Amino acid sequence: MRESGLQADSSRSKRIIIKCRGLVKGQITGSALLMNKAFSFMGDVDMDTSEIIARDHEQKGETIAGKILIYPETKGSSGGCVVLNALYQQGKQPGAIVNLKMADYNLVEGAISAKIPLLCLPERDLGEIMKNGDIVSVDGGKGIIEIIR
Amino acid sequence: MHLTPEEQKMLDGEYGPAKAEAMDHITQFGDAFEAERLLDIVYVHYPAEMGIYRGSVESLLEFSEKSPKVEVPTTTSTLCMDIDQWKEMGVPEELAELQMEVIEPHREMGALGTYTCTPYLLGFIPPKNSYVATVESSAVIYYNSMLGAWSNRGGLFTKYSAVTGKYPEMGYMLRENRKGTHLFNIDIEKEKLENFTDYNLLGIHIGEIVGSEVPVMHGISTHKQENLIGMGATLATSGSVSLYHIPGITAEARTLSEALQGDVPQEIYWVSPDDLDTAREKVSTMDGGEVDFVLLGCPHYDLDQLREVAEMLTGKKVKKGVELWVCTNRMTKRAAEWQGYVQIIESAGGRVVCDSCPVESHMRNSTCKQYGLPVPYIEAMATESGKMARYVKDLIGCETLLVDRKKCIEAAIKGKWGD
Repeated sequence: MRESGLQADSSRSKRIIIKCRGLVKGQITGSALLMNKAFSFMGDVDMDTSEIIARDHEQKGETIAGKILIYPETKGSSGGCVVLNALYQQGKQPGAIVNLKMADYNLVEGAISAKIPLLCLPERDLGEIMKNGDIVSVDGGKGIIEIIR
Repeated sequence: MHLTPEEQKMLDGEYGPAKAEAMDHITQFGDAFEAERLLDIVYVHYPAEMGIYRGSVESLLEFSEKSPKVEVPTTTSTLCMDIDQWKEMGVPEELAELQMEVIEPHREMGALGTYTCTPYLLGFIPPKNSYVATVESSAVIYYNSMLGAWSNRGGLFTKYSAVTGKYPEMGYMLRENRKGTHLFNIDIEKEKLENFTDYNLLGIHIGEIVGSEVPVMHGISTHKQENLIGMGATLATSGSVSLYHIPGITAEARTLSEALQGDVPQEIYWVSPDDLDTAREKVSTMDGGEVDFVLLGCPHYDLDQLREVAEMLTGKKVKKGVELWVCTNRMTKRAAEWQGYVQIIESAGGRVVCDSCPVESHMRNSTCKQYGLPVPYIEAMATESGKMARYVKDLIGCETLLVDRKKCIEAAIKGKWGD
């Protein structure tokens, strides 16, 4: 069980719900991976292991499979959606993707193909209220993410 | 989204299962962005299914069972190997066989086997203000900016646009989204912003700042096509830029005011020579030293670039143990053979490579692991391309040296750059 983030005296968990724009439907609960910079599926991740391989990435070595990826925006080649699909073929795709800015068209094509819930433009600054490893529930159809504390 | 009766028939399967599948995905895609209708497109550049991406070739074979047929001229982007030379180039036979499975389905559906990242160099020049659906970020940005043919950053769904001739009205298909947002005053003397690599560095710098917005570059005077191709490729690498304006040069910017659609920019920046040095440090892991691989032709070269390289290599020899690749498309290679350029490059010990490039090849570290090849496949690559340097340092896992064309040739001959 995760202990961090829980108040010793809190007897019940808190729900924090944040409205977003939902682009690709689907529901999932998973562990959040927050990144501060733009992310490129081409170049930043190994398409077999889902490990972040970019040398200058602050989370190098972490895997993205099953995670709720939260980052500002997508950058890099349009092969990015092909990488997303290759990850999906091996069951190594992220659980969901949340972009702080408007999502990229190429990414949405990849997310529809790989059946990854995709949301963007959250109404609150996720960097301020969340941290890595937080458990979040995502609903791409409703455009909602819920942080479970 | 509103569909015409014809589009509705496609969705309902009246024109067969391929168009129905395509229309289903395109309407889902358009609905996600609240597009109001579909547009008729005139051209598609489509991502050829590459053997190095798991499930990719299989997905084409599955789709081809539905007998798809393209509705508009459709070119194909790169494969993971040179169709003619894969054996000599060390591509595992199993991978080559998988890759070759795409050729026939592409022909059957009418997608042209161009297998290149620079289809506009083959004469696919859609008219200004036409709608197109294109993949390959360096081509998307060229179509949008230099030609004024409207495209979003396409991906897997461009195949669906190819078989329907449709794309949702959204993003850069809407004039208001084509407005320049960030103004960059380029304050760099001509000598420091002159060649292909200099412009690559400028693209890296600006792309990282603007991300997915629309930069306007003020103070650029180059009309050299290769410089603009190079800058576009890196803008779409460090950022996801799909459209830029250069007043007086690009298609939709006769003036600064036109580039900004009469508005004021959100942000204004000044770019100095120091910014180019910083950009180089981001993708070049070394300043000099030994290299075992030299790459030219990212994005794929035209005939004149092959001429220039052939002239630089005349009477020279690439050092033993160093591989020199000069990448282009097969049609241009045929022309270069007629001109005698290929023979010069080959007799110097280089190789003119078609259909592919190192980052999309068996040299990629995940592919090496899959087929039991050494990781990293090469130690250090010299290249003039910011895009190639940025991707190979992590996807091949080699060291990178980003220097201009002349220095790359010198590095190929000496096996190193610098003292």
